[in-house]
Amino acid sequence: MSGTPSTVRTNNRLVKWIDTRLPIFSFMQDAAMDYPEPRNLNYWWNFGSLAGIMLVIMIVTGIFLAMQYTPHVDHAFNSVERLMRDVNYGWLLRYLHMNGASFFFIVVYIHIFRGYYYGSYKEPRELLWMLGVLILLLMMATAFFGYVLPWGQMSYWGATVITNLFTAIPVIGNPIHTWLLGGFAVDNPTLNRFFSLHYLLPFVIAGVVGLHLIALRQHGSNNPLGIAVKGPQDQIPFHPYYTIKDMFGLGVFLIIYAIFVFELPNALGDPQNYIQANPLQTPSEIVPEWYLLPFYAILRSIPDKLIGVLAMFAAIFILFLLPWLDTSRVRSSYFRPIHKWVFWLLVIDVVALGTVGAHRPEGAYIVVGRIATFYYFLHFIVLLPLIGWFERPLPLPESIAAAVTKKSGVPSASAQPGAAE
Amino acid sequence: MMRLATIAALGAALMFSPAAFAQEEIEAPHQDWSFAGVFGTFDRGSLQRGFQVYNEVCSNCHSMKLLHYRDLGPDGPGGGIGFSDAEVAAIAAQKQVEDGPNDQGEMFRRPGKPQDAFVSPFPNEQAARAANGGAAPPDLSVIVKARGKGLEYLWGEGGPDYVYGILNGFTDAPKGFALPQGKMYNTYFPGHAISMPPPLADSTVKFQDGTKATLAQEAHDVATFLTWAAEPYMEDRKQTGAKAILFLLAMTGVLYGAKRKVWKDVH
Amino acid sequence: MADLAHGKPGAGAALSGGHGAASRRDFLTIAGNAIAAVGAACVAWPFIDSMNPSADVLAAGAPVDIDLSHVQPGQQIVVLWRSRPIFIVNRTPDLLKTLQDTKDISLLSDPDSDVLQQPGYAKNWNRSIQPQYLVLVGICTHLGCIPSFMPQANSVSPGWLGGYFCPCHGSRYDLSGRVYSGVPAPYNLPVPPYRFVSKTVIRIGENPPDGGDFSLDSIEQI
Repeated sequence: MSGTPSTVRTNNRLVKWIDTRLPIFSFMQDAAMDYPEPRNLNYWWNFGSLAGIMLVIMIVTGIFLAMQYTPHVDHAFNSVERLMRDVNYGWLLRYLHMNGASFFFIVVYIHIFRGYYYGSYKEPRELLWMLGVLILLLMMATAFFGYVLPWGQMSYWGATVITNLFTAIPVIGNPIHTWLLGGFAVDNPTLNRFFSLHYLLPFVIAGVVGLHLIALRQHGSNNPLGIAVKGPQDQIPFHPYYTIKDMFGLGVFLIIYAIFVFELPNALGDPQNYIQANPLQTPSEIVPEWYLLPFYAILRSIPDKLIGVLAMFAAIFILFLLPWLDTSRVRSSYFRPIHKWVFWLLVIDVVALGTVGAHRPEGAYIVVGRIATFYYFLHFIVLLPLIGWFERPLPLPESIAAAVTKKSGVPSASAQPGAAE
Repeated sequence: MMRLATIAALGAALMFSPAAFAQEEIEAPHQDWSFAGVFGTFDRGSLQRGFQVYNEVCSNCHSMKLLHYRDLGPDGPGGGIGFSDAEVAAIAAQKQVEDGPNDQGEMFRRPGKPQDAFVSPFPNEQAARAANGGAAPPDLSVIVKARGKGLEYLWGEGGPDYVYGILNGFTDAPKGFALPQGKMYNTYFPGHAISMPPPLADSTVKFQDGTKATLAQEAHDVATFLTWAAEPYMEDRKQTGAKAILFLLAMTGVLYGAKRKVWKDVH
Repeated sequence: MADLAHGKPGAGAALSGGHGAASRRDFLTIAGNAIAAVGAACVAWPFIDSMNPSADVLAAGAPVDIDLSHVQPGQQIVVLWRSRPIFIVNRTPDLLKTLQDTKDISLLSDPDSDVLQQPGYAKNWNRSIQPQYLVLVGICTHLGCIPSFMPQANSVSPGWLGGYFCPCHGSRYDLSGRVYSGVPAPYNLPVPPYRFVSKTVIRIGENPPDGGDFSLDSIEQI
């Protein structure tokens, strides 16, 4: 036998035989076991793998739900109820999927804020970050298509409102709108194509996740200190250290997820969606699912249709530019006394936008919505570049190993960032 | 701090989600339900009385298209509401179901079978609207899930409170309230002007099990039945959930121990 | 694993720190993995079970009543039960006679219906409750096509006495659904559970009161 012998560590001859010809085992060994990671990753780094697991859960439950679902306006609502009542464990599959969407977004939003706090988008990880933003966009589209499928009141009117955004485009807006719907209003052709796309996009997401991981491995994980790995003393192998840490984190996550699926399955949903879609009656209030509320609030805060739509999309697309809007030389906010606080302002701002998005645009909600929208863009376009220039970062530790072993002085990086404050 | 913010964000997200009705409304007072909470179960006697109320009163105007007579029996989701197969067959046989076409190509009516869906009082929505002064009585299959709101909704209890409130909420309109022609005043209906006349009163039905048929009892029982109808698998869900969560707690505990051990030499 | 940590007092004392910790870690890892594996298995079941027939599908398989009064002598009607074609034939005395043709019987693969392809009350020379009415599941035991009803003599081949001929792969059955030797189909056509609720109405899917608990789930092959 010529060629490179298998490097897989095993005495199993079959595994060695296969690995010499198809190196899947040594690939797994390199990628998921021996792969060196910074030794100081804290629990906020769990959310990347959690997001991957949520994607798998959503795809698997989705495939089994699709076996029971009928994408037709006359049957969609009833087929969803039928699958919950008559199909064995149908209620479980549906509630896993329905709440899974919310939990997928929770995990991904935390993952994004983590990346933002620790400067994980900075050179040389710009493309890693941008692929992540692309995943977020695809997730939003998938979630939107999926929400239409049960064909409840909020499904129908959500689809109507969101597709009408495209009519804001000058001149070609209306033809595009009709083309998207396959008709003059949301109807059976719309439902069919949304079902098709809802089934397709998760696999596109999986593909982009693959690219995201390739980009991640190119320069390795960032870490809470934001400083580069200088040598083996800064690193530990993925297995067993991060496999067990991820497993533990997964356990905690699944407990919370299970509480919602089994005890509060409809808490994150809208009661209106248990009323079958009625094209002749708009609900008194149309709200998207909670994870889209901040963007919905930006849309409504601007009293001009076209500019409102542009602002809403800009709020997401601006994230693509984050690596260049942040001018700081230091990655981790841990060493950035001003940015550390501005970060929390943004968190509060997004929560405020979410609150506004959930309420009718009247009274104080209009004012708060406009201020929050203004701050959102101010934050990224003005504050972020300026702070990078004027801020004086704290001195960085020599290396990860030095910071971890030296408990005095620079606090242990594996402690929670907030705990020291 | 980051953790706190996460919890706050999650909490905020929870509060936002149930849609508020536009009109001025009064939240129906909270009732005690046997199915409430993690270990809640349906009271079979109450379910059967509630079905009787629906069957004798509500079903004259309100459909329940998602339910089948077989659902009431032992093979129904969640074990039904305690009727035997023979009782279910007898209930179904009292109904006339349209079937067909037969060999001559004609539709015909026959006595109902357990596998038939609940027979609707009106052939279509237009007929329902025409017979009810322009307002079609809503289907009651999942009405409890469609009407829940507020914190109780999180526990799946807002809907039955609303149903109970509506059935008990008919009063004279307060002075100065412009009640439209043909409408009734109801304290807990959003906007108060409801098209449905009071459907229940004391002794509207005569319960087979001898329970005194007060308005409160009838409303409580029918709200229980409608909650079951909206989620017949609720007991199953909660009990499976209790086991799953206990299992996950044990697993996570062991994993935490293993994580501590593995990481001991790194710190 | 646990006894490694104990061992002889004194002898292992110097090692006990490291050794004990290592075995404890191994134990926890193994326990964690074992619990996770059990969890994964428990999670798999709802997914698998969701693909089994649902309650509405099972309910739709409830017994159906068929009125035989309009089935002419020699005629076959086909009704649907559990999404399967059910053949009902009104056999004339002439047609019944073919079933007892000794030369023809010698060509059959299972002339006495020994293989469980019918309820006990239909295990007889005519494979039915009343010889006049044949009730069969019209699915070829080879690969599931629907055999054609060919009651005319010589209509399939010379010497053909009447029966069923499967157009897919040429399997042949006589007028009681018994399969001939030398064709791809291995078993007789199944007889579903059925009973007479009146002189002319049969109920498919329900055994006679004294007919046992036969069901198509228990037969050799449908």
